[in-house]
Amino acid sequence: MVEIAPGIYVHAGAPEQANPGNDDAIANIGFIIGDDAVMVIDPGGSAVEGEQLHAAVRAVTGRPIRYVVLTHVHPDHIFGAVAFRADHPEFIGHARLPGALAQRGDYYVKTLSRDLGAAASGSEIVAPTHLVAAEEAIDRGNRVVDIRAHGPAHTDNDLTLFDRRTATLWLSDLLFVERIPVIDGSIVGWIKEIGAMTHVAAQRAVPGHGPAIVDWPAAAEPELRYLNTVLAGTRAAIRQDIDIAEAPRHVALDERDKWLLFDDCHARNVTAAYKELEWE
Amino acid sequence: MRLTPMVLGIGVLLATAVMAPASAEVDEAARAARWANLRSQIFGDRALQDGAGVLTIEAPDRAEDAALVPVKIGIAGELRRDIAQLYFVIDDNPSPLAGRFAFGPAADPSAIAIRVRVDDYTNLHAVAETKDGRLYAVARFIKAAGGCSAPAGKDQALAMQRLGQMKMTMKGSPRLGEPLEAHLLVSHPNNSGMQMDQVTRNYVPADFVRTIRLRYNDRPLLTMESDISISEDPSLTFAFVPSVPSGAIEAAVEDSSNRHFERSWPVKVEPGT
Repeated sequence: MVEIAPGIYVHAGAPEQANPGNDDAIANIGFIIGDDAVMVIDPGGSAVEGEQLHAAVRAVTGRPIRYVVLTHVHPDHIFGAVAFRADHPEFIGHARLPGALAQRGDYYVKTLSRDLGAAASGSEIVAPTHLVAAEEAIDRGNRVVDIRAHGPAHTDNDLTLFDRRTATLWLSDLLFVERIPVIDGSIVGWIKEIGAMTHVAAQRAVPGHGPAIVDWPAAAEPELRYLNTVLAGTRAAIRQDIDIAEAPRHVALDERDKWLLFDDCHARNVTAAYKELEWE
Repeated sequence: MRLTPMVLGIGVLLATAVMAPASAEVDEAARAARWANLRSQIFGDRALQDGAGVLTIEAPDRAEDAALVPVKIGIAGELRRDIAQLYFVIDDNPSPLAGRFAFGPAADPSAIAIRVRVDDYTNLHAVAETKDGRLYAVARFIKAAGGCSAPAGKDQALAMQRLGQMKMTMKGSPRLGEPLEAHLLVSHPNNSGMQMDQVTRNYVPADFVRTIRLRYNDRPLLTMESDISISEDPSLTFAFVPSVPSGAIEAAVEDSSNRHFERSWPVKVEPGT
């Protein structure tokens, strides 16, 4: 856990897929301490990681945990929520998060148990209690955090946050650094949403995967390059009648040595882009 | 048709199986037992011959995305002439019989490509039935998708907004008497009705494409009876043989909510070909 700016703590996740050795602690998670209350931003990928995060909060402050933000539906960000239930916080999510949880929650419970084995025990889906449809400012005592609900991008239920006191932009999985981005919403939408965020004047940003802290907006460049390369390459494949099964072997292969876990995720990114773009 | 209820019936019969905790290592014997159970439900005690050499399944070794795995079933040799219909089974899916394809006289039954959901480590089976009732089967194993991949769609709002739209692409120019590959897309969320809302403990209502009927110039081309194992925005690649200078392909789609969608596309053979 590192304090990346006054009162903002981040734990950088391992650049790995979920496995029994990492307790699904693969995403960047953390918390912001206000004068009256603590806001947790992503409780982590398992009950075990959630409990560790809870202990990390308690190691630096006794202030109540009033907010737990679930930045999107992915398991590595949300399964730790159960560890914060006893604090009775508001669980904050995108207005489309309940729908995504309904569609995927049951499956994610099963796959977490498949991927982590015994380490998944206790992990469960926690429902958001407070939904954000557009933008909302939350004040935790002289500390206002602006929460923004995005259009379909990384997923169709992404939230980002901006801490006014330190001008810190918490992008969660709208920004991947070093680890290959995962397209699970809309490639066209993601380029648009992250492009808009590059105009936010921030001192620093927190990506969902990669280092705990990065320069902003410089850190968006590799991701934007990757997404634009996949976009152009997939459109070309569709024009050339290369079918969806073949396309991953043709598109954006020059990105291969630029990302961690490329072989795990690139093919599915191209497939997802193809499925979206073939309707254009 | 006696098979129509069976397509959906299998989903119901095995609904309890999917609720059991997924085990990481299902051994060969368990897979064989599962297939024995499935084949007897679908084909009764009819004999299945080895389809090696005439029937192939092309699929990735691992499902990259649980929501969308491209699969192509190839039909070769004399089976191309003899085939009446094709079954595709994803053994460990909640509703294993993913699709049944009946070829009409306008079809060129050399290959079918679809996109399917894959929930777990599983065998895939393709079974061809000939006009005189012989059955040929082949199998292929596929590993489950990892990470944050899920069988559900990525942009639920868009899927509903575009509901029922169709798109047909033909590969190359139509020529009389020569097989032409075509690709049909139908926009539909294809919700399985098996996803439980963890919050309300209710199920997301089932809403999926049940039948796609294709005709070329008023002659049956291909009928696909499908189910919840088909990906969002069902996709069907097939081939047919243009037989007139100016004809049309018609698609009639019916879903589990009894919606009907229809569309047709002209098929014009280039003059002088």
